[in-house]
Amino acid sequence: MSSTHNELEAFAADPELAAMFIADAADHLGTIEATILKLEASPADLTLVNDLFRPFHTVKGNAGVLGITSIQDFAHKLETLLDLARAGKHPMGPAEIDLVLKTVDLLKLVIDELPARAAGQPGTDVSARRRELMNKVDELIAGAAPPPSPSQGTLAAARTSMPSPAASVDEADRARVNRDDARSTVKVDTKKLDDLVDMVGELVIAQAILAEDPALLRTADERLNRRLAHVKRITSDLQRDTMAMRMVPIRQTFQKMARLARDLSRKFEKPCHLTLAGEDTELDRKVVEHITDPLMHMMRNAIDHGIETPEVRKAAGKPATAELRLSAFHRGGFIVVEIADDGAGLDTERILTRARAQGLVPDGAQLTEAEIQQLIFQPGFSTAAQVTELSGRGVGMDVVRRNIDALRGRIDIETMRGRGTMFTIQLPLTLAIVDGILLAVGSDRFVIPTFAVQESFRPLPQQVQTMQGRPCMVQVRDRLYPLLHLGEVFGIAGARQRISEGTVVICHDAGRAVALAVDELLGKQEVVIKGLGDMFRTVRGIAGGAILGDGRIGLILDTGGLLALAGKAASQVAA
Amino acid sequence: MEAMLAVANGSAGTAHAPGAGGKFLTFTLGHEEYGVPMLKVREIIKVMDITQVPQVPDHVLGVINLRGKVIPVIDLRRKFALPAMEHTERTCIIVADVDLSPVRVMMGIVVDSVSEVLNVSDADIDETPDFGGRKTTDYLLGLARVKGTVKILLDLDRVLGSDGQLGTRAI
Repeated sequence: MSSTHNELEAFAADPELAAMFIADAADHLGTIEATILKLEASPADLTLVNDLFRPFHTVKGNAGVLGITSIQDFAHKLETLLDLARAGKHPMGPAEIDLVLKTVDLLKLVIDELPARAAGQPGTDVSARRRELMNKVDELIAGAAPPPSPSQGTLAAARTSMPSPAASVDEADRARVNRDDARSTVKVDTKKLDDLVDMVGELVIAQAILAEDPALLRTADERLNRRLAHVKRITSDLQRDTMAMRMVPIRQTFQKMARLARDLSRKFEKPCHLTLAGEDTELDRKVVEHITDPLMHMMRNAIDHGIETPEVRKAAGKPATAELRLSAFHRGGFIVVEIADDGAGLDTERILTRARAQGLVPDGAQLTEAEIQQLIFQPGFSTAAQVTELSGRGVGMDVVRRNIDALRGRIDIETMRGRGTMFTIQLPLTLAIVDGILLAVGSDRFVIPTFAVQESFRPLPQQVQTMQGRPCMVQVRDRLYPLLHLGEVFGIAGARQRISEGTVVICHDAGRAVALAVDELLGKQEVVIKGLGDMFRTVRGIAGGAILGDGRIGLILDTGGLLALAGKAASQVAA
Repeated sequence: MEAMLAVANGSAGTAHAPGAGGKFLTFTLGHEEYGVPMLKVREIIKVMDITQVPQVPDHVLGVINLRGKVIPVIDLRRKFALPAMEHTERTCIIVADVDLSPVRVMMGIVVDSVSEVLNVSDADIDETPDFGGRKTTDYLLGLARVKGTVKILLDLDRVLGSDGQLGTRAI
């Protein structure tokens, strides 16, 4: 510990080993956090202590291999405490649990900073925090063992007699862990994985193009068709398996939430009990990366705004301890993540008053409950009476909504005054593929994501409302939708001019809806999404390109952008 | 960068632009012969189905699917305000790497026909004549006199450079 520069020599010398150490350590620290929270719920469970001991031991061992003595020593100290707990000689009380959590935090910080420090940059000075924690461990160990010398003797004896059995168990454990690792996982650079997924996507498209080749469609050759079907089966299996490689369980994210909920419930002095469900639900790695922040934000909101203080809860006849539930599951090709609390529910009156005061709602506008609830997603909206450290800065739910939109997901609110709130986030399984509806306008093909489509129909002439001679609204069951003639807006030659001869697709985005006039619907298709590149980043109404079955590119429509275009079109008519 | 230096040196009064020589892919637009540095060229493909993209200038024809990659396609005739022409069987798309700092992108450039790969020595390259201070010569690497004809050597990064932000202009 005297010379931190020396201890990082081995770390800096072998970047691959170093990266592995960091990834491993993050995994193990995550496990420790999850286990300790379980232990907090059932302190008498000694197998949990054992589960806690093992990852600490591995982190220590790995740090030792790399010669990072500061981490090794520190982990060792904790291990000593856990060792006693494991042997039933030291109870794991709240103080111990706190200590382990603080240790995990510190280790995370130190390990995160390792690469920067190895590169010669100064890290955070944690020596004081570390010393404090290590002293605390000593105190706890000393506190557990009664002062008289006889028991001190037994403790010492226990320490000395421990090594042989403990060591053998550890060796066996480690051997098993290593064998498991070798058998079940290989660490692969994510870039390589993404490249593979891209290439398989291309293979699938190439296969589809081949299958639709007119020469092959004409052929009556049974054998050729059989062989083609075989290739198709292999290709789709390959695609499914490569996609699966990008999938990771949501467990780690949920573990973070469990930790956050625990810390926040203490901070706000609102006892709550978090139930996790469906931690093993798998979703695309990229989706997981981007869902963590929104979830954290919503968890904060739930505890800060949603859940009442114990006094208020008691007065309302509810149990003092609030119930929080975080669950993930599959539903119809989507992943659904739900975060529910049994708190006060959304106060729609207050939201409306606040939104009026902030100028988000024009005076006199009549809003439905659902529309008022949607207001919390408006940028700049905040009901927090006072700005706290965690919420109430007005950068909240709008960011959550944006993040989820970016993942092509959607978020819904279900709330009941005095009973609680539930947010439902629906996410695509993967970001690489979107389930779309193929539209034709003139000779052009467009794809609109299925989740954005509400309904489609051929309008009767009387459903189309004109303004100044131009069709601009469509009436469906007493509701008027702004109409956007796609062929006109995008300047497509050969698009059908009469709206009543084509098809109208009602699509929605962020609670608003627009009616798109197109020539016809061609069917449903899963398409691989490709960005159009920087050159087209300011083109509105287009989210990207999809390679269609015939090898051509169909542009993917972006409902939000189309709504903006509809607004512009309307203002031009008025002008 | 080298190209810019070369042009700068050329206008400074030397007889030719040193350093601009090398292999060029030459192609025709109408009666004119153009050349682009071979190092920029990825491949040459036949004209395929081009998907139009809305809200872009006329000379941006749209995007094509190049083996799973989506790349933009530019019509050089339209870019140079030459009269439009139906695509023939000789019409080609030159796929080139274009540096639109800060990004590099692959782009397709539609030309009437591709001619040959020419070895142009520094001595063959004339400085761009002064057309009276107009900006049009900015995107020329120089003019090469080869076998009695003049090839107009293009600096692709500059020809297509302004298209890097085409979206912002288009709306």
